[in-house]
Amino acid sequence: MNKSFLSLILAVAGWAVFHFGLFPIFTPAEPGMLINRYVYFLLFCFYLIIVNVGMKLKPAMALRALYVWMLGFYFYDHILSPHVPWTLFITYMMLWTIGTFLYISQDPVTFREFRAPIVKTIIGEYKLARIVAFSVLPVLVGWATYQSIYPSFAEPVELRTVHPAPPASTKVHGKTYMLEKISNPFRIDEQDNYKDSFPFLDADKQEYMKFVTEGGTIFFQNCHYCHGDQLNGLGMFAHAFNPTPANFIDPGTIAMLQESFLFWRVSKGGPGLPNESTPWSSAMPPWEEHLTTDEIWKVILFEYWYTGWHPRTFDDESAVGE
Amino acid sequence: MINKMKTGKKLIFLLALMVSFLLVGTASAGIPDPVKQDLLEKGKKVYFKRCVWCHGVEGGGDGPSADRLFTRPRNFIPGTFKIRVTDSGQLPTDNDLIKTVKNGLPGSAMPAWGEFLKEDEIQAVVQFVKSLVQDRDFNDEEDEEVELMEFGSNPWGTTGPYHLGIPQEAIDAGKEIFTKNKCFECHGGEGRGDGNPTMKDDWGFPILAADWQQCWNFRGSRRNHFDPFNVVRTISTGLNGTPMPNFREKITVEDRWKLAAFVNSLCPRKKIDKLTSKPIPDFLISSVYTEGDIVEKIDDPMWQSSDNDPLIIARSEEKAANPRRNYIALAGQITRGKRNFDPKVDNLWVSSRWNKDKGVYYLVEYHLRFLSSDAGFPDAVAIQWPAKLQDLFGAEKPYFIMGDSKKPVDVWRASFMPKDYNSTNAPKEEGYQLDVTVDEFNGRGFDALEPKETEPTVKVVDSIFHQGRVKILFHRALTTDGEMDVQIPPEQFIPISFFQWAGDDKEKDEHMAISTWYYTILEPPLPDSLYYMPPIMAVVFVGLQGWLVWMTKRTRKMYADGKVKRDDLPF
Repeated sequence: MNKSFLSLILAVAGWAVFHFGLFPIFTPAEPGMLINRYVYFLLFCFYLIIVNVGMKLKPAMALRALYVWMLGFYFYDHILSPHVPWTLFITYMMLWTIGTFLYISQDPVTFREFRAPIVKTIIGEYKLARIVAFSVLPVLVGWATYQSIYPSFAEPVELRTVHPAPPASTKVHGKTYMLEKISNPFRIDEQDNYKDSFPFLDADKQEYMKFVTEGGTIFFQNCHYCHGDQLNGLGMFAHAFNPTPANFIDPGTIAMLQESFLFWRVSKGGPGLPNESTPWSSAMPPWEEHLTTDEIWKVILFEYWYTGWHPRTFDDESAVGE
Repeated sequence: MINKMKTGKKLIFLLALMVSFLLVGTASAGIPDPVKQDLLEKGKKVYFKRCVWCHGVEGGGDGPSADRLFTRPRNFIPGTFKIRVTDSGQLPTDNDLIKTVKNGLPGSAMPAWGEFLKEDEIQAVVQFVKSLVQDRDFNDEEDEEVELMEFGSNPWGTTGPYHLGIPQEAIDAGKEIFTKNKCFECHGGEGRGDGNPTMKDDWGFPILAADWQQCWNFRGSRRNHFDPFNVVRTISTGLNGTPMPNFREKITVEDRWKLAAFVNSLCPRKKIDKLTSKPIPDFLISSVYTEGDIVEKIDDPMWQSSDNDPLIIARSEEKAANPRRNYIALAGQITRGKRNFDPKVDNLWVSSRWNKDKGVYYLVEYHLRFLSSDAGFPDAVAIQWPAKLQDLFGAEKPYFIMGDSKKPVDVWRASFMPKDYNSTNAPKEEGYQLDVTVDEFNGRGFDALEPKETEPTVKVVDSIFHQGRVKILFHRALTTDGEMDVQIPPEQFIPISFFQWAGDDKEKDEHMAISTWYYTILEPPLPDSLYYMPPIMAVVFVGLQGWLVWMTKRTRKMYADGKVKRDDLPF
């Protein structure tokens, strides 16, 4: 019994040293082959084994089971990174608990050994343990009941379609455009030829860069408040809106859309969205109210040039079929 | 005063030299980091792709976006940089500029570039920015000098993100230093930046003192918003180009930390979104069920709650049951009609109580440095509801800017003018009473507002403007007779949003600040089962324990009596 107690003290003290002393060292900003959290965890496991085997402590079975279970808990809660969602965490811990019981009941001897202190507590051979356990547990049950009855409210979760299906045609400034037919009138050349050209500097020399500069000017007078100076959807007003503004750097936005889709979204804004895209809370203005058709196309040209993405295009002919 | 420094530079230089002889060991003097010519070509490429849009072709702070921004982009030409570790009026170090580019300037349009540009790009663009400075010369070893200020170190060893645990004595001592040095003359009596409406920067543009209760907007906070070091640096170096001087002669380094502790103690501890450097909004406004009377006085203990997130700083015993103050983010209304690119208010704090007899109360508070004195443009704040809550299906809501043709909104607006007020008045301890008028209207679009013709139902029961903070307490019954009034059901999630107009900024109609849709819920009273179920469960469990003991003992007895044979495994 005394040796078990010594084992427990060594385990707790060892954990404290590892967790508060070594863990920060093993989790630098850029982990290496040896200095990483998993190596740290292995070291801690080795520590436990070496201390208990090396000092021949032979802790009680119940204590050993506790070590095994806690190691699992520590691993899933602290070591495994990024942390798994809590539903998955509970599933893992249930499996780990079953595993711990397998370890306990590997043969009848270990099982009885595990059971012995529990039985002794129940029948009162360990007097103090019985008093503590039998008075604390009902209080815990009462507290858990209180917690589960106490009403709590979380804001409702709302899902929305980010890129809804576009209409076949849209009417902007009195003119009807078939979205499948139109292309950007200012895309007069291959975008990649202007990777190393610069707005303002080359605007006089290259017509394409003149359009990009004009588009950028409009962007930085109107759009950056939400979509950000970096076009990453983190403008100075972005945090106030929900849904948050689109991030054009992300491969899931303008990189997978056609320019005509952008033309429709920019012209019609939030109010032009279908219901599944929550038009009532989108802060995107119907830009036809503020910009001319040409200005809208130039902004679109700029957004692709700045991010380096290429707009999706229609294939001339279907690849399958015949 | 700082931009005159060029002519008197020699004098300053001599003075600085003398001071540095006097204060050997407190500061180190040297020459500015020269411009690294080999990086200019690369830096120019970065600048003309990323920076030119705000800072302009020649670095004059006059890019296309400049006129619609408040704070305006920096004009690099005079070499005036705010966030430095060097003495007032001096050029910054390379490291100062690199940190500014990496972390951005919260509260302004300057974003953090640290995660966007590569390290070598940032190094290069900083050199290019230095080459845009015309009035000063980073390479001038004779006339330019930089003296790195001595900041000491955090005497309490507190750590981020919230820097809690600074002793109250230090904070109180800081408050005395605040009073002694008259910081309130610009920053206001409670630090909301409401001291002086007439300040100008070196270029003659109007400039406002920092609001210490919104430290996430401190330009030099380097995304570590609650760190007192940021304040120590500003007190030690001043902010070049602004009326903020340094206090290196007036306040010792030790006292600067205490003052910083006081300044930072005013800033509510909220969880800050790392990406936007703003507090994360509280999207659910829970209205607390209140038994009996709800006091219609803002300064009643019933309405006192701290702005701190109770999960970060636990609430005191007597305030534990008070409603939480919810942080509501506002932005300029830049979507429809006349757009507001530079709103004066970017957040509201809302708390609420209700019961069936008294109805529902919403306390709306916000920081505003100066109120309007022009009756044609009164200050105003409004709560927006769906007018026909019962007709909405699922997550459906009216358009968040004053509704739409199919789904109207119900708006409660309080417009107010302060009594006996002039924005240049000295801070007034007891605050200003407000002349409030409430109007209710329905919106079917920002350009289709209809004042209600039914009897008014919404009242503002108390209001005050105190040390740069407006507080308005709205009241209404849960249900009304009005066809176009929102009928507020308990225990349901109800969309709610807010508008705010700053009269001082001539804001009117759709030229306003706006929030997105939030939710509010009238929380039900605590169920009675909360009081009897836990003991019942505990007693039942005690019974179970007794049964377990009895069973185990019985088994033991059966072994002892030989009625049941035990297996003979070794143990």
